[in-house]
Amino acid sequence: MGPEELRAALAPALGPSLVGVEPFEGFAARVRFRREGATELFRAVHGLGNTHLSMVAGIDWVDHREVLYIVWSDAAKQYTLLSADLPADDPHIETASGVWPSANWHERETWELVDITFDHHPDLRHLLTPDGYEFRPLLRSFKIHEPEELEVKVRHV
Amino acid sequence: MSEMWINMGPQHPMTHGLWNLRVKIDGEVIVDVDPELGYLHRGIEKISEDRHYNEVVTLMDRTCYVAGLAWEHLYIIASEKALHIEPPERAEYLRVMCEEFQRLGSHIMWFSAFVVDIGLLTPLLYGMRDRDLVLDLFQSYTGARMTYEYMRVGGVRNDLPPGFTDRARTVLDWLMARFDEYDKLTLGSDIFHKRCDNLGILKANDCIAHGVTGPMLRSAGVKRDLRKDRPYAAYDRVEFDVAGADSADVTGRYLVRMEEMRQSVRILRQVLDWLDRNPGPVMARELPRWLGAPYAPVGREGYLLKRNYPKGVGFSSIEEPHGEAQAYIVNEGGEHPYRVKLKSPVFSNISAARQYLVGYRVADIPPIMGSVDVCIGESDR
Amino acid sequence: MSASPSVRPAPVARSMTLPPESLRLEGELPMAGAAVPFVEIEALRAREFIPAAKEALGSLISNRSRETLIGPVFNWAGRNSLFPLHWGLACCAIEFAAAFGARWDAERFGVVARSSPRQCDLMIVNGTVTWKVAHKLITLYEQMPEPKWVIAMGNCATGGGPFRTAYSVVPGVDKLVPVDVYIAGCPPRPEALLDGILTLEKLIRERKE
Repeated sequence: MGPEELRAALAPALGPSLVGVEPFEGFAARVRFRREGATELFRAVHGLGNTHLSMVAGIDWVDHREVLYIVWSDAAKQYTLLSADLPADDPHIETASGVWPSANWHERETWELVDITFDHHPDLRHLLTPDGYEFRPLLRSFKIHEPEELEVKVRHV
Repeated sequence: MSEMWINMGPQHPMTHGLWNLRVKIDGEVIVDVDPELGYLHRGIEKISEDRHYNEVVTLMDRTCYVAGLAWEHLYIIASEKALHIEPPERAEYLRVMCEEFQRLGSHIMWFSAFVVDIGLLTPLLYGMRDRDLVLDLFQSYTGARMTYEYMRVGGVRNDLPPGFTDRARTVLDWLMARFDEYDKLTLGSDIFHKRCDNLGILKANDCIAHGVTGPMLRSAGVKRDLRKDRPYAAYDRVEFDVAGADSADVTGRYLVRMEEMRQSVRILRQVLDWLDRNPGPVMARELPRWLGAPYAPVGREGYLLKRNYPKGVGFSSIEEPHGEAQAYIVNEGGEHPYRVKLKSPVFSNISAARQYLVGYRVADIPPIMGSVDVCIGESDR
Repeated sequence: MSASPSVRPAPVARSMTLPPESLRLEGELPMAGAAVPFVEIEALRAREFIPAAKEALGSLISNRSRETLIGPVFNWAGRNSLFPLHWGLACCAIEFAAAFGARWDAERFGVVARSSPRQCDLMIVNGTVTWKVAHKLITLYEQMPEPKWVIAMGNCATGGGPFRTAYSVVPGVDKLVPVDVYIAGCPPRPEALLDGILTLEKLIRERKE
């Protein structure tokens, strides 16, 4: 299913919350959407045969955050990328775990590492980091230890 | 009877790694399950943001320590797409060879650990003996037994040593005879059937809904194999069958993995023949100097070069020994990746634990979790 | 090539009625490269037990102190039957398992992995220690009976290794428990692990109670 067909299939259900459907290397298409229409989009994409959600990821672009969903269709044998931009000061989106149960743990991980809150998530608590861990390590503002200056020089000689 | 929670882990013979399975039991029956991960969370995605593209390969070996080369392959495909670099054909075949040998090593390691869970102690020694032969082959061309650092952006580090293919064929012949022996030791044992048949059933619909992939999915009758469905590297140029079973239980997963090993041998024989016939370069030409590839040594000059390489996003998805692994790499033009996101199949397979454990008994947990093939290094990253 | 197991085949033999020669190895083991290097089995020499036992008996007769009586015998027995804790932290655990496999056979040194910390006197920290597991590691160490030893296997346990800069990793297990022997390598080969165990046995022999 190409980008144009996908846009035609998704546009009626989503309306203005569908930002765009564009070709993307490695995927059938990249569907960009607004978070207001998240649940409708998940249901519509699931209804098109994309029954397997393989990954949820978050990227911190400093001025905003991006949340990605990668879904797979067994019939088309293709991946589709869903992405939504979230404002950095209020990053939250509706959970996908009602549509794909496999999103549960991926969203817990994205919440604790990239600080994107998933509304109505059944069980949003720490998964990889200890309980009560207050840092969000995969944000760009979280700096890891700088290697010593000498070591940087030695590495490049 | 009153219900209670018990912890199996992080130090428990069942776990085969460092994780905690919290089990709610009513007498002997499992009522609820809550796996607890993160004891081996090493922040690989974060450290990768501070390393050169080729330096991240070092971390990929340690991400999954029983399938290091498969994870190198996963990362390298994605970063080559992000950096717009094409590897030569011989490198692709070498990578397929690496991945299939790694599948053999990983499945034999799984076999060795799994049979101990069900009380058969002898096959462990057979399995470890044969796995060491595969590791000998790795050692002869990468120099290491487990952590190889063999693949590079744009190719692989070095070509095969002379006489490698013949030695590899000898080992493959040896292993093919051993697989029948494994079957006799396990399928020929009453203990195996009493402990594994009709246990840990996870039907196809539940597998798909909970993101379970790999041998667990294929044992439920869904023949999804990314090497076939979405061929990468040289997998569209070799012949093999997708292993499958329909019993969706522990025995089914065993049968799928054994068949996969036989298919790996089949792929490897074709790839070794191809490598014999087609010598050639194993690294791409015209790599950016700062990549630090062997043909493009990084010098002080290279360090000072201005880096305005084109930006890009790389995505790869491979059929790792445990299932579907994915990497999503964002290249923002710098010498380090901007973001490396890794998806581990084991992570999803453990997350569905409630579906295949509830209703069985406490003594069934070791065979069921053994059949999942847990590798905590990759699920925690 | 065997048939695809899409239908579960009937079990090959239900009650092990296989002819015995079917399990015999055909041909030689195709070992690539060098064979296993010879490791001198110094720790198992029984003849050092005899002078120690004689000394113990003599001290019993001459009514000397208790330490002189049981010290050498205890040390001899302890170092020849080290029981490491059976747990796997990370990559080194696979080499730890390989050391107990067919080729290296660590059990010939009397090293037998036990699953309960209360049966162990040696903790081999075989992998990266994270802050999340740190307090569990200390609990396990405290559950082991005295005298006990710790081997830091590999670079991660020694000093954090490649994950030294990570936010979640303890840079060296010696920040948590006292370490007796460090083994370098990422991961160390099984020979290196055996060498570390033999080094620990030497340390125990020189121990003065």
